[in-house]
Amino acid sequence: MSADTSAREESTGEAADEGGDPPAFPARTYTAGAGRAPARQRSTCAAAGFLGPNLILLGVFLFLPLGWALLISFQESNGFGASGWVGLANYQRLVTDPTFWQSALNTAVFTVITVPLSLALGLGLAVLMNSVLPGRRIFRTLVYLPMVISGIATALMGVLLFDEVTGILNKLLREGGLATIPWQSQGTAAFASIILVTLWIRVGFNMVIYLAGLQSISPELYEAARLEGASSWQQFRYLTVPLVGPSTFFLLIMNVIYSFQVFDTIFVMTGGGPGRSTSVLVTYAYENGFVTRDQSYAAAIGIVIFLITLIFTAVQWKGNRSRDDVG
Amino acid sequence: MTISRRQILGGAGFLAAAAALNGCAGFSGGGGNGGGGGDGGDGGQNTLTFTTWGSPAEEEGFRRGIDAFKAANSGVDVQLNLVPYEQIFTNIDAQLQAGTAPDLFRVDYGTIGAYSSQDQLLDLSSYVDTAAAEEFLPAMWQAVQYDGKPYGVPHQTDTSALVYRTDLFEQAGITNVPDSLASAWTWDEFRQVAEQLRGSIPGDLYPFVYNWQLGGSTRWLSWLFQAGGRLFDEDLTGSAIESDAGRKALEFTQGFFTDGLVPPSSSVKSSTYADDAFSAGTTAMAFVGNFVLPGLDENITDFEWSATYLPRDERGACDLGGNALVATKNARNPELAAEFLKFMTRPDQMSDFCARAMELPTLNSLVGTELDYQTRPDIAGIFVEQATTLEPSDVEQLTSPAMATINPKLRDELEAAFTQGRPVEETLANIAAAVDEAAG
Repeated sequence: MSADTSAREESTGEAADEGGDPPAFPARTYTAGAGRAPARQRSTCAAAGFLGPNLILLGVFLFLPLGWALLISFQESNGFGASGWVGLANYQRLVTDPTFWQSALNTAVFTVITVPLSLALGLGLAVLMNSVLPGRRIFRTLVYLPMVISGIATALMGVLLFDEVTGILNKLLREGGLATIPWQSQGTAAFASIILVTLWIRVGFNMVIYLAGLQSISPELYEAARLEGASSWQQFRYLTVPLVGPSTFFLLIMNVIYSFQVFDTIFVMTGGGPGRSTSVLVTYAYENGFVTRDQSYAAAIGIVIFLITLIFTAVQWKGNRSRDDVG
Repeated sequence: MTISRRQILGGAGFLAAAAALNGCAGFSGGGGNGGGGGDGGDGGQNTLTFTTWGSPAEEEGFRRGIDAFKAANSGVDVQLNLVPYEQIFTNIDAQLQAGTAPDLFRVDYGTIGAYSSQDQLLDLSSYVDTAAAEEFLPAMWQAVQYDGKPYGVPHQTDTSALVYRTDLFEQAGITNVPDSLASAWTWDEFRQVAEQLRGSIPGDLYPFVYNWQLGGSTRWLSWLFQAGGRLFDEDLTGSAIESDAGRKALEFTQGFFTDGLVPPSSSVKSSTYADDAFSAGTTAMAFVGNFVLPGLDENITDFEWSATYLPRDERGACDLGGNALVATKNARNPELAAEFLKFMTRPDQMSDFCARAMELPTLNSLVGTELDYQTRPDIAGIFVEQATTLEPSDVEQLTSPAMATINPKLRDELEAAFTQGRPVEETLANIAAAVDEAAG
């Protein structure tokens, strides 16, 4: 998983360079050979050879559909293809659509709750798994397992656990003589069930990234801290937390994006209900695109999700320029 | 671990784009069946691709029908592509847009209008003569029409009735279970039965569950029709739900939730089907379609159950279940596709399919005859009789092309009324607005 992720990052990173950014690291490498045209040509060819396949894949499967979605969002749709230009009408409709705002608010709340919690739990577990915990390999596998299984399958397991009438949790509560929790019929409980399942799915990934971060910290630093009389908490607070900063930054962005993308868990577990209490932007876009068959409006929602995520990432990136020096 | 800004930005950009695409371009592949038969030449012309969903019993029925069609037409092949019900129309829509749709597919009567009104289906006028059309029940033939032209054949129909646990009925002392359509419970009697059950069964069980979940929200209209109301006005160009009947139906059904007569999690947005809740033993009664009887028969092992008629108010009414078979407008061999549709609705084929899958026929000639139902033949007749309470005026409304747009709104409004306590008047006004907008 992590190898795959880093491969993707690298390819998209290079792709960004192609887009006209100021000359970055690879370009400087090539200028070292300036003056010898054949050599420069060879390296340009090599670069194109390495970049080409990725650029083609990204172009066909990412940028083309993205551009297309943007086009569709300015058109009117009859369910079987766009039928005419309407300018910004779909976006104007968004502004006055209360369900859109409710879904946007739910998405924001979901993100604000899940991101810090999954980061904290991921770091906690990583610290635990990095210690001399007996059977830690098994625990690591178990914690990571939900990430490997299809999202729909994990959400169905969520239904088995949280179904209000037949779910395991309410059965246990009933057996224990306690009041059951209205997991599907009450908004807050439904939202909580989605968050719990999301955390279950996500902490494994965060744990693995943090684990990699932790393993690159030199044990001598901790030794020095202990000699200085630092307590375990102080070591964690003043050594571990800052030193896994680059991992935190990476995970923060990834988790925010995952949270904005949340779909399968909600689609399967609550369908956006009760009422609109678990409706998020992607489920609302899906509903418009594939139930109401208004794909133009759905595309407009998709573009809004894209812009929000992009702005967040850009802001984070600007605010964290110093991060490269820490890692 | 060192991660550069560029790597992070690149990775983030990738995911951000994927997030946007998730919302707007998430077509799932349809298994490539559309192009699967396009092997060119004569072989391609003699091959039909047919996409459907189906229970195991329905699948068996379709396979037998296809085998019989192939035996009767040498050199012809029909490729069956089974997909889950939840995805079929998403797939079909995407395939229609991409020009890779199958030649034939199965569609429910509530959705057929969304395709026929957008000129996506093969007009069967030149393939089906008047005599053949008259063989179908008028209401069912009406269900496949758009603008006076047939765009499919009514393959089967189904409807809901009320199943109940005999042990819990005995325990509650309920003995007056209706045994004919004429003696079906009135709404008041039904409500009394539900309250009687509420008093006798444990708190974690519920008197009944209604089958309006997972795309079934139009089944709420049965209550409206029973109360003597209409969703559309007479000429189907506006709403007629803001009426005494509309208020009565909504108040009555909202009471199911406020008075604890149905599981609170069984509203229109629930992800659990009514028959699953009944199979799990959590309700004493359930409104279910006849097509789930094979599943109930197989899954329920620890209690006895039987069935009775739907309650009635001003009149009896039921939902229009069942499906048509249609050919797409760009079917490669329209003659052969039409031939297949006619073959599948021949009396022998239809009776075999319906008997196997516990479904109701759509041919006049089969309505009076006793089909050889293979599951619970003792209660199959209840569904057959119940289906006769459906009136042509109901069908006309249920199959309006506007229903495709109204459905999601109806679902939202009912959900708000049932689980969020939205007042009856406001809910009706919102539904009326949605109907006016879609039909006007």
